[in-house]
Amino acid sequence: MKAFLTLSLALASLAGATTYPLTLTDDLNRKVTLKAEPQRIVSMLPSDSETLCAIGACDKLVGVDDYSDYPQKVTTLPKMGGLYDPKIEAIVAQKPDLVLVSKYGKIVEPLTQAGITVIVVNPETYEEVFSKTLVLGKIVNREAQARTLVTGMRRDIARIEILTKNAVRKPTAYFEVDPTPYSIGPNSFMGVLLTKAGARNIIPASMGDFPKVDPEFIVGANPQIILGVDAKTAAARPGWSSMTALKSGKVMALPKGLDTIFSRPGPRMPQALAQLARIIHPELFK
Amino acid sequence: MNSDPPQEAPLPERLRSTGPVSVPISRPRQVWPRTLLLLALLLSAIVLGTGLGSVNIPPGEVLGALWRGLASQFNGAELVSNDVIVWQIRLPRVMMGVLVGASLSVCGGAFQGVFRNPLADPYLLGVASGSALGATLAIVLEWPRALIPVSALVVALLAVAATLSLAREGRRFPPTRLILAGVVVGSVLSAGTTALILRGEDRARQVLAYTLGDLGFSGWRDVLTVLPYAALGCGALLLLARALDTLQLGDLTARSLGVPVERLRLIVVIAASVATAGAVAYVGVIGFVGLIVPHMVRLAFGASHRVLLPLSALLGGALLVYADLLARTSPLSQVGIVTTLLGGPFFLWLLRREKEL
Repeated sequence: MKAFLTLSLALASLAGATTYPLTLTDDLNRKVTLKAEPQRIVSMLPSDSETLCAIGACDKLVGVDDYSDYPQKVTTLPKMGGLYDPKIEAIVAQKPDLVLVSKYGKIVEPLTQAGITVIVVNPETYEEVFSKTLVLGKIVNREAQARTLVTGMRRDIARIEILTKNAVRKPTAYFEVDPTPYSIGPNSFMGVLLTKAGARNIIPASMGDFPKVDPEFIVGANPQIILGVDAKTAAARPGWSSMTALKSGKVMALPKGLDTIFSRPGPRMPQALAQLARIIHPELFK
Repeated sequence: MNSDPPQEAPLPERLRSTGPVSVPISRPRQVWPRTLLLLALLLSAIVLGTGLGSVNIPPGEVLGALWRGLASQFNGAELVSNDVIVWQIRLPRVMMGVLVGASLSVCGGAFQGVFRNPLADPYLLGVASGSALGATLAIVLEWPRALIPVSALVVALLAVAATLSLAREGRRFPPTRLILAGVVVGSVLSAGTTALILRGEDRARQVLAYTLGDLGFSGWRDVLTVLPYAALGCGALLLLARALDTLQLGDLTARSLGVPVERLRLIVVIAASVATAGAVAYVGVIGFVGLIVPHMVRLAFGASHRVLLPLSALLGGALLVYADLLARTSPLSQVGIVTTLLGGPFFLWLLRREKEL
């Protein structure tokens, strides 16, 4: 295993530099050409900001969206607004040679018309977190670093998975992302992490990735752990106080910080998984 | 654009044909079979709504669960598994549907009568946009869930107060001014809600769910909180039915028959706002029920308010429970989405039909 890793790392560095002009198809199926290695990048997605920094391209960032807050370095950069209220003029004023955006929102068109290269890199599924990291690596000429990052993430995740696989009992879990209530399906990237953390998601794949759930379905499924709701709120909901999770006290809101990391399809996925596994299987981490 | 018609002018002929114009004589004997029919519809809605859902429970078990739930109020026994779903989740949800559907429909019927406008609905005077703003405020500021309806209710009543004071002309409340003021207040408040949603992006979904109307998480406590608003508001409107009938003859005639038109209008507006705000506070803005149900009743059973308002309550309650059942068991997911999807086309059909008559 180790030899394989070293070999693949060596091969990765041999793969060498990206050649420009680089043409690629982005997440809105647009063909985009980069004339040269981008030096002034604006990132409008927190996960893209994190990935760029994790592969050693943090210095290229000249602006980020309002929600990018990791690592420390990006918090000092000019804020360019959010998904629904981007500050397009401020972005243009930074004279970026590349803007990375989400596939939602409406800034692709005006920025393109202003003559700025825009690429949509929008990881959503578990596997996309890795594949988009490699795409970003190619875009900013940090392919080797991106490969190293991906290998490292997969290794860290595998380490936790080995532990949780051996868990004697895997509790059934309900994970709430929004009190309406919305939950996560097993195929969403968060759902994959929940399963890898050693829980059995009560939401079947057929309900979709982020389904709105009928409250009586949750009570009917009677999960052993409830995450994403604090115990007081859960107990106040009609019929919930009779559920197994409430009786055994296994109900908790995600600790501050974890809620952000967990909902961000970026390089901190292994950390989110580790914390989540610790909550679901404290006995494995003694 | 035509200038506004004088207030005493009758409605255009085609709107009057099925509009809220009173049928001079109502025959109580013919009303009973219809009432029984709607009562049966409501009862079947309650039975089906309690038995079906994402977990299907056979009728016998439902009855048992209802009995054990009722008994547990006295002997304090703890409910288990499906009993919990029937007694603590479905039945209150169904009852909330009945209350809200009935409230919205009665208010819609009363509003259409008092403004002599078939397009009037319970949200006319800014009640919905006020509630939405209040709820959004509470959600974005992350207040506890129990405070969301309180905040919705307060802002809704403030919105109605603002509409009334804007529309006031001396001691009178002319209908055209009331409707215009309601539209303006509603638009301003909606703009405020949108601004708040943009500020608190990550809460946007919760706000959206509220503005689309949702009966999920309605418990017995919520039902008991809404009940007095519904009883007070709808009760007052039912008592005013005869006066509303007289009002259909025109303000002048009504006045000469001894109806205090302006005071009646104010009381109806306040009573309807109390009932609507109470309903909206917990379950959000449920579209089209209040607009459609009175028309359905009018088409089928006649337009006298003494028949229209109580039958609207029965049909509205049944309809909302069925709509919620559909929402719970289909990917449409929210009752407000169902009512709007069903109500919109029905309303267009109604408009076309009126043109032909």
